Amino acid sequence: MNAASEAGHLSAKPELIQLENVSRLYRVGETEVRALDGVSLHIHQGDFIALMGPSGSGKSTLLNVIGCLDPPTSGVYRLDGEEVQALSEKRLAEIRQKKIGFIFQSYHLVPRMTALRNVELPLILAGVDPKERRERAKAALEPLGMGPRAEHRPDQLSGGECQRVAIARAMVERPSILLADEPTGNLDSKTGEEIITLIEALNRTGLTIVLVTHDPRIAAHAGRLLYMRDGRLLSDAPPAQAAYPAAPAPP
Amino acid sequence: MRASDIVSLAGEALRRHRLRTGLSLLAVAIGATAVLLLTALGDAAKHYVIDQFAAMGTNLVVVVPGRVETSGFGAAALGGTRDLTLGDAEDIRRRARAVREVTPFSLGAAPAEYEQRHRDVYVMGTTSAYAKVRHLSLSAGQFLPAGDPRRGEPVVVLGSKLRHELFGSENPLGRSLRLADARFRVIGVLEAKGQSLGIDFDDLALVPVAAGMRLFNQSSLHRIMIQAPDEASIPATIRQVRAILVERHKAEDFTLVTQDAMLQSFRSIINALTLALAAIAAISLAVAGIGIMNVMLVSVSERGREIGLLKALGGQARQILSLFLAEALLLSGAGAVCGLLLGTLLLQAASRIWRELPLAPNPFWAAAILIFALCAGALFGMIPARRAARLPAAESLRGRR
Repeated sequence: MNAASEAGHLSAKPELIQLENVSRLYRVGETEVRALDGVSLHIHQGDFIALMGPSGSGKSTLLNVIGCLDPPTSGVYRLDGEEVQALSEKRLAEIRQKKIGFIFQSYHLVPRMTALRNVELPLILAGVDPKERRERAKAALEPLGMGPRAEHRPDQLSGGECQRVAIARAMVERPSILLADEPTGNLDSKTGEEIITLIEALNRTGLTIVLVTHDPRIAAHAGRLLYMRDGRLLSDAPPAQAAYPAAPAPP
Repeated sequence: MRASDIVSLAGEALRRHRLRTGLSLLAVAIGATAVLLLTALGDAAKHYVIDQFAAMGTNLVVVVPGRVETSGFGAAALGGTRDLTLGDAEDIRRRARAVREVTPFSLGAAPAEYEQRHRDVYVMGTTSAYAKVRHLSLSAGQFLPAGDPRRGEPVVVLGSKLRHELFGSENPLGRSLRLADARFRVIGVLEAKGQSLGIDFDDLALVPVAAGMRLFNQSSLHRIMIQAPDEASIPATIRQVRAILVERHKAEDFTLVTQDAMLQSFRSIINALTLALAAIAAISLAVAGIGIMNVMLVSVSERGREIGLLKALGGQARQILSLFLAEALLLSGAGAVCGLLLGTLLLQAASRIWRELPLAPNPFWAAAILIFALCAGALFGMIPARRAARLPAAESLRGRR
């Protein structure tokens, strides 16, 4: 697949993700919270999107809706041509398994399992043969430099190493989309830079990336910067031309 | 997801909380042990009774005076009860064909006295055939003489304990002792036999039946015991004995009890008792199931993020349900197995202490315990497992822990 970081050529790529007027409502006690309020968004295959905005602006909700973890309350979400809001829970799980990889701020590694077994986990759920999944998990750890640390448990690994394991786990099923929820939020800036470089490299292989961040320096690596507030998309532009130059909004 | 992976993932999760897992296992194990011990005790009691019946003699039909029925408790009183006499016994012996031995006996309590030594004993009046029917053997001398049962010579055969109490180291054969007001010459001593169905043969004095009835001024025998030639002819024996007695008494004012019927009623009583004990013990197993549910509910609320992660990685709700159900089943199954092992060890130790009780784990009950424990685990594990499977993925991922 071709690299696709120049915004000018994006329209040439097939549209992977289409959100039309998507809203997500939460009921908190008596009051309704509009986490997403009529968001329309098209993402092409190979896009690298950074998602910024203050806390509670709906970044994570948008990420979860794209990741088929959270169903939209209204609107249309098309993923790879499939209308997600109409799909069964079972099919949604299949989509998450085959098409989507997640990484998180706090890594979400299972603490009692070795790095290798954490990476094997999606394959275990998919019922892959033990021998084959071991090979695949090792192959996923290797390019991230985690081969020698495969038998360590998360509490024996540094934050950067944990995030590398999490990336290996997200990539082991060879998804077409990587969703990253503040992947550098718990890391020092040097390690964060290493992680974002890895993500950039993955993007160059054709992987579509949506990344939530508070850090403008991280967002600067993306091809498109989306800025959100109060559940709405306020701007969508290359980072250099962003109308909202990433006002750092710590939680 | 493969079954082996479900089990190993569930096992890993359980091993993380060793204390919690251990306590849940202990609760199930105690329940399983209790059921196993109590059912083994019931079994042992049943075997004990069966052994006792076997020791009593085989293929026995017993004639009891009076009509014993469940209906009409006043029947015997209304019709009047005729005595069971030596004549009845003699007639049965002469006329019934399906009969091997007939032995009447009387029973009473009297003080036995020999040279200043007193002892209150049961005195059984019977005939020479009694030794054959009850498999009695002698350590010295001879048993009651054969011949006309009406004669009633003043001779006595002593139980082994009674002999020691009255005579000490002295040889009792040929000595004379006093039973109530009459003198009897000792002609034999029984070998130690112990208790059999309420009769302590070691503390018993056996005299000829006529002498026994005279001693207590009795007109009726206590029982007539009849031994059929074999098991198949017992119905014929009953028919013939009943016909003869009805003819002599002009009414059916007696009851025929077979050993088998007695055994059956004992067996059903003990079975019912065993079942009741097992049910009570099973409550503790069910309570252990509730304990598992409690532990699993805590575990589900602690592992919200892990559940969310599994969903994000493509885990189906059904798979998450299976994982948590597998944990509950592992807990209850392993607990039951531990309990069965512990129970078996305890039973082995107990059977070494109480040798007369055949204490052993019953494989049927062991299987039932395992199945019951697994069912309880599945039932009580279902609620937390469903809760886990239904957790909304996005919110659980964001959870605090």
